[in-house]
Amino acid sequence: MWDIILNPFVTILTWLYALLNQDIVLAIVVLTVIIRFLTYPLLAKQQESSRKMQQIQPQLKKLQEKYKNDKEKLSQAQMKLYRENKVNPVGGCFPLVIQFPILIGLYQAIFFALAATPFQLIDLSERLLIPGLDALIPLQRMWSPIPGLTQFLPEMDLTLPPTANPSYALVLPLLVLVTTWAQSKLTMATTKGKSEQKDDDDDDDSGSGVGGQAQAMTKSMTTIMPIMFGAFSLSFSVGLSIYFVTSNLIGIVQYSPQGRQLLDRVFRKKQTDDVIVDVELEDDQPAKKPRRSRKKKPRKK
Amino acid sequence: MNLTTGRRIRLSIIMLLLALATTSCVGTRMGVSWPSVGLVELNGQEHISLSYNDQVAILSPANGVPARLINPESGNPIRDSENNPRSWVLSGAAYENAQFYALPIRLDAETLLAADHNKRLLKVDSVVAEVQRAIPVADQVVANILEVGDVIYVPYQNGGLRATSKIDFSELWTFPTSGGIWARPLLVDDMIVVPSMNHQLYAIDRASGVQLWSADLGGSVASTPLLANGRLYVGSFNKSFFEISLDGRILSKYDTQNWVWGTPAIDEIGIIYVADLSGYVHALDTRNALAERWSVQVAERGIQAGPLFYDQRVIVSSRDGKVYWLDSRDGELINAREIEGAPELLGNLLLLEPSETLNIDEPLIIVSSVDPGKLLIAFGVDGRQTWVYPR
Repeated sequence: MWDIILNPFVTILTWLYALLNQDIVLAIVVLTVIIRFLTYPLLAKQQESSRKMQQIQPQLKKLQEKYKNDKEKLSQAQMKLYRENKVNPVGGCFPLVIQFPILIGLYQAIFFALAATPFQLIDLSERLLIPGLDALIPLQRMWSPIPGLTQFLPEMDLTLPPTANPSYALVLPLLVLVTTWAQSKLTMATTKGKSEQKDDDDDDDSGSGVGGQAQAMTKSMTTIMPIMFGAFSLSFSVGLSIYFVTSNLIGIVQYSPQGRQLLDRVFRKKQTDDVIVDVELEDDQPAKKPRRSRKKKPRKK
Repeated sequence: MNLTTGRRIRLSIIMLLLALATTSCVGTRMGVSWPSVGLVELNGQEHISLSYNDQVAILSPANGVPARLINPESGNPIRDSENNPRSWVLSGAAYENAQFYALPIRLDAETLLAADHNKRLLKVDSVVAEVQRAIPVADQVVANILEVGDVIYVPYQNGGLRATSKIDFSELWTFPTSGGIWARPLLVDDMIVVPSMNHQLYAIDRASGVQLWSADLGGSVASTPLLANGRLYVGSFNKSFFEISLDGRILSKYDTQNWVWGTPAIDEIGIIYVADLSGYVHALDTRNALAERWSVQVAERGIQAGPLFYDQRVIVSSRDGKVYWLDSRDGELINAREIEGAPELLGNLLLLEPSETLNIDEPLIIVSSVDPGKLLIAFGVDGRQTWVYPR
């Protein structure tokens, strides 16, 4: 089942390697760019969904306060709030669920394509879907950042960890750490979004409440993830570190305001003006039209 | 903590994704190679030698049990500090985490040489199964060492063949290959034929290390060629199988379904049997430019090890965890045995026939797997399982 995702990636990566003058690093970079570009609509949808969830946090809080002694009614009111505001509480996760196997597939494709031992290489025989690519095996795994200066920067073995390569390779885990941190920070800022500026005064960061807990979790992830990936990169092959750095750099571009504007234009995504609808359960109040409130625009400084 | 339904769902999905990420990461192979199995002389008898990961073991062919260490002077078993009889198992953990994928070779009556994947050759006292000395080499070794007289030829995993004196381990010469050598070189008269992952098959003068010729096989060559009727037979990762003259000319070529990894087998009339990594076995006529006699898909997964030919049967082991017996005349399936748990069967097959030095009552086929609980499985030629060696 997993092969349906993995085998095309391995094949495309090997094909790109052939196309790009047998430069595996260039092939990794190009494939990462292509995948991140193609999955951008999913990322945008996830961001949009997260933003909407953030926007209705004040209303959710009010409902929690109001129905704190009646869980059934709280649940009904929450569902109504979601319905009225066209928010799917798991909508932010679905695009992530689709994206995740793609990114893991890409990661594994690099691992397989750079196979350096019999045990790793034997699996590659079942994964190349285009005839003729077998003639490229094994892929060239020695690489220098500046080919003309190999006397100063000796070639790295992309299948070995930075610790088993020339000492300058140790800069890669550091780059992984920094770019992961930068991307996490930008992700947090994007998820928080414009809508939060309005509610900054109300929203507590103490960890209580749904939004608070989510934020606390995101904050801790911003600290833990870069350290975790930096540490991983010390023991993973250099080829995978290059993938992590490339992927993070693209993520930084995608999450930056200018990058998002550009990508939204490419994918013709329309900017919408959000309207938040408050809800109350019918047996609490006489029937009346839902009260609509236009979301405050962010103050210009 | 009072969690909303949405939050519960979110947390569940995050947990699921983390689990997925973890399993995806560990799903990839982290090992080096598979077991190597061969024969080695110990206490005047032929025994099975096995190298895999952190262990070299010498086993009794009759029951697969590690051989007992015997004091050559007294003839009594050697015992450990708790008075238990010691067995012939060399643990890499005791020697700076040595790892073994190549078979040990015998240097003299009391000494073996084992290649450690950590760029060392280990001189082992075979009486007490202990390392005497470590000789550093330039690279890792996964393929078996070739031994010719007083010289050993050490194939390097990342490229190069080093000729080394068996007496003092001094380097005689090193022949560079840009690709790794993952199979034992073959001696043909005064010529050493070296398969390389850089698509070349090299022929080298064994005394001087000078290249005599090379043949481009279009794909990596990961198996030792077979020498028969004055010709070389070898497959490559280019989904091809070749007949090559001893001066390096490609005489015939046959297209297989997938990569060929194992050394072929040949019968008495010159039919050669080749297996590939799509689970096919091909019977080719060496008297007629590799004309196909038959070609059948035997297994659902690949066959890495070269086939065995015995008594009009072709025997292969597959990554699907099964051992197959085929009729050599038409490729018809005669018998199939699935190993319990269907472990991947990787590593060479070994045929043992009763002899004066091999203490067995019937011919045995030894199959290796990557399952530590069933590293070696012995079958009778009729397919009956006789013993299993677990780690």
